[in-house]
Amino acid sequence: MDLGALGSAVSQIFTPWTFLMLFVGTSMGIVVGAIPGMTGAMLIALTLPITFYMDPFNAIILLVSMYVGAISGGLITATLLRMPGTPAAVMTTFDGYPMARGGRPGRALGLGITASFVGGLVSWMALLTITKPLSIIATRFGPFEYFTLIMMAMVLIASVSEGSLVKGIAAGFFGMLISMPGVDPASGMPRLTFDYYLLNGGLKLLPVLIGVFAVSQIINDALDMGRVTERIAMSGKGILMSVKDLKTQGVNLVRSSVIGTGVGILPGIGASIGSVIAYTVAKNTSKTPEKFGTGSEEGIVASEAANNATVGGALIPLIAMGIPGSVIDAILIGALMIHSIQPGPTLFLTNANIVWGMIAACLLANILMYILMTSSVKYIAGLMYMPRSFVLPVVMVFCVIGSYALNNTMFDVWVMLIFGVIGFLLERAKFPLGPFVIGFVLAPLAEEKLRSGLMMTAGDPSPIFTRPMPLLFTLTAVGLLIWPLYSDWRKKRNAARDAD
Amino acid sequence: MQTQEKYEVAVSSLMILICTVFLWESWDLPAGTFEPLGSGPVPQATAGIIILCCLLTINSARIKAKANASEEEALPLSVMFGVLMALATLLFVIGLHFRLLAFAWMAAIFLTITIWGLENFAKRKFLPAVVTGLVIGFAVEYLFTQVFVVDLPT
Repeated sequence: MDLGALGSAVSQIFTPWTFLMLFVGTSMGIVVGAIPGMTGAMLIALTLPITFYMDPFNAIILLVSMYVGAISGGLITATLLRMPGTPAAVMTTFDGYPMARGGRPGRALGLGITASFVGGLVSWMALLTITKPLSIIATRFGPFEYFTLIMMAMVLIASVSEGSLVKGIAAGFFGMLISMPGVDPASGMPRLTFDYYLLNGGLKLLPVLIGVFAVSQIINDALDMGRVTERIAMSGKGILMSVKDLKTQGVNLVRSSVIGTGVGILPGIGASIGSVIAYTVAKNTSKTPEKFGTGSEEGIVASEAANNATVGGALIPLIAMGIPGSVIDAILIGALMIHSIQPGPTLFLTNANIVWGMIAACLLANILMYILMTSSVKYIAGLMYMPRSFVLPVVMVFCVIGSYALNNTMFDVWVMLIFGVIGFLLERAKFPLGPFVIGFVLAPLAEEKLRSGLMMTAGDPSPIFTRPMPLLFTLTAVGLLIWPLYSDWRKKRNAARDAD
Repeated sequence: MQTQEKYEVAVSSLMILICTVFLWESWDLPAGTFEPLGSGPVPQATAGIIILCCLLTINSARIKAKANASEEEALPLSVMFGVLMALATLLFVIGLHFRLLAFAWMAAIFLTITIWGLENFAKRKFLPAVVTGLVIGFAVEYLFTQVFVVDLPT
C-alpha cells in the first residue's frame, strides 16, 4: 500500500484545474443520474470525445468522478418518481418511493445518500489494499489464464443479466463478432472487411458505445414520452442520518458494502446486480422482512450501500488486470486506450500516476458526492422535471458530435446510428446490452491470448485443462452454464412430486 | 404470437443473417502460416455459437407464444415520438453527410423539428423550440470548434 503515491495523487487533484474536473465530474454525474432516461454510461461515453485534448490524468479524474456521481444520482428519481435514474437504483424504488410517498422523502434520500457514502468508502478501502497484490498475481497470468478468465467473465455476465442465459451468451458473442472486422491481430492483414476500405480500421469502440447506450436509450425514452409521473413535494427534513441511525443500520451497511464490493470485483457484473443481492440478503436476515417493499429503511440502505460499493470493487479488476468490472469500466478502458494508456497488470509500472489518480478520485468523488447531495438534493430534484422533449434532441446532437470527433469522419456517425438501432432492437427483444459491450471490448484480447497461447504450445489446447487457474475458470464457466439447467430440472421434478 | 415473442424471433433471425454473412466472408480467410489457428476459426466459432443461441431463442419464443396465445402486450405509449426521433436523426445525419448546410444550421433545424414534434406540434411550443434550436445549435458549434477545438462536419 503506497500511501506516499496516494498522497501525491491527492495533492495533484487539489490543484485548481484538476479539482474543477473532480467537481464538474461528480456534479454532472449526480445530475445526469437524477434525470430519468439518462445513465452514467451514456454520460461517460458522450464525455470521452471532450477528453481527447485533455491531459490523461485530468481526463481520468473527470470520468471516474462522473462514474461515482452517476451511480449515486439515480437514488433521487428512484425515491421521488419510482423511476430508477440508473439501473443500479432499481431496488431503491421498492422502499424509497413508498417512504417518500408516506411523507418522508428527506428521510429516504438521507438514508440513501449516507449508505452510498459508506458503501463507497468500504469499496475504496478494498481498492486500496487489493489492487496492487492482484496486479502482481496477474503479471504471472499466461495467455490461457487470460483467455479462460475472459470466457468465464462472459458467461458470468450472461448468467446474471436480464433475460435468459442463452440470450446473454448470444449478446456477448455478438459483441465479440462485431469487434472482429478490421486487422487480424496476428497476421496484420485485413479481415472481414467485405472489401470496404473504411472497415480496414475496424469498428471503433466510441461510436459503438454511444450508439448502443445513448442513441438506443433516446429512442426508448421517446417511445416512453406519454408516461405521466407523479410529483412528490421534496423537503430536506431528515436528510442527515443520526449516530443512532448509523448504529441501527451498522451491520446492514457494512454487509451490503462488502457484498457490493465483492460483486463489483467479479468481471463484467455491475451495480444493479450488487444491489439486488444485497437487498435480498438484507430481507432474508431482517427481523421485519414483511416491511420490505413498503418503505423499509433496511431496504434503502442495503440497495444504496451495495450499488456504490460496486464502483470501487469494479475498478479493481480494471486496474489490476485490464478486465472491466462493469459496463462503465469497459468505457473507462476505452478512455485509457484513447489516451494511449495500455490497460493491464503492468499499469502500476507504466502509468502509476494514472492508477493512483483513479484510486484517489474514487475517494474524493465519494466525499464530494456526500457533501453535494446532502446540501443540494432539493435543487437537484427539480432537474428531474426537465421536459424530455428538450433534453432528448440535445443529447442526440451531442451523440453525433461525439462520434464525429473521434476521427473526423461521417463513417463513425453512421456506425453510431446503426448501433443505436441494433441496441434498441436488442433491448426490445430482451437481449442484454452489458454482455454485448463487454464482448466487444474483450474480444480482441481474448483472441490474441488464445492464438498466442496455441502458438506457444504448437496448437495444443491442453493447458486450459492442466494449468490450475485456466481449469478453475473453465470449471466455473461450465458450472454457470449448467446450473440454470439443473435448477430448472429440479423445479420440474419437485413440481411433479408435489402433483403426485 | 405476442409482440415480445415477435421481437425475439425477428432480432434472432437478423442476428442469424448477420452471422451467416460473416461466415460466408470468413470462408476465404487463409489458414495460419506461423500459428496453428489462422484468421478464420475464431470468427467462425463465434458466429456458430451465436446462431445456435439464436435458434434456441426462436424455439423458446415459439413455445412461449403457443402457451400464452391469448395475451397481447401493449404497444409503447408514444410510438410516433420514437419514429419521429429516429427519422429526424437519420435526416440530420444525411444532411451532415452531404454537407447541405453548416453544422449550426443543421443542428438548429433538427432541434426545432424534434422538440416541436415531441411537444405534439403544439402551436405555443413552436417559438420555444425555434429559440432553443438556434441557441443550442450555434452555442454547441462555438463550444466545440473554439473551446474544445474539436472539428465538426461543416
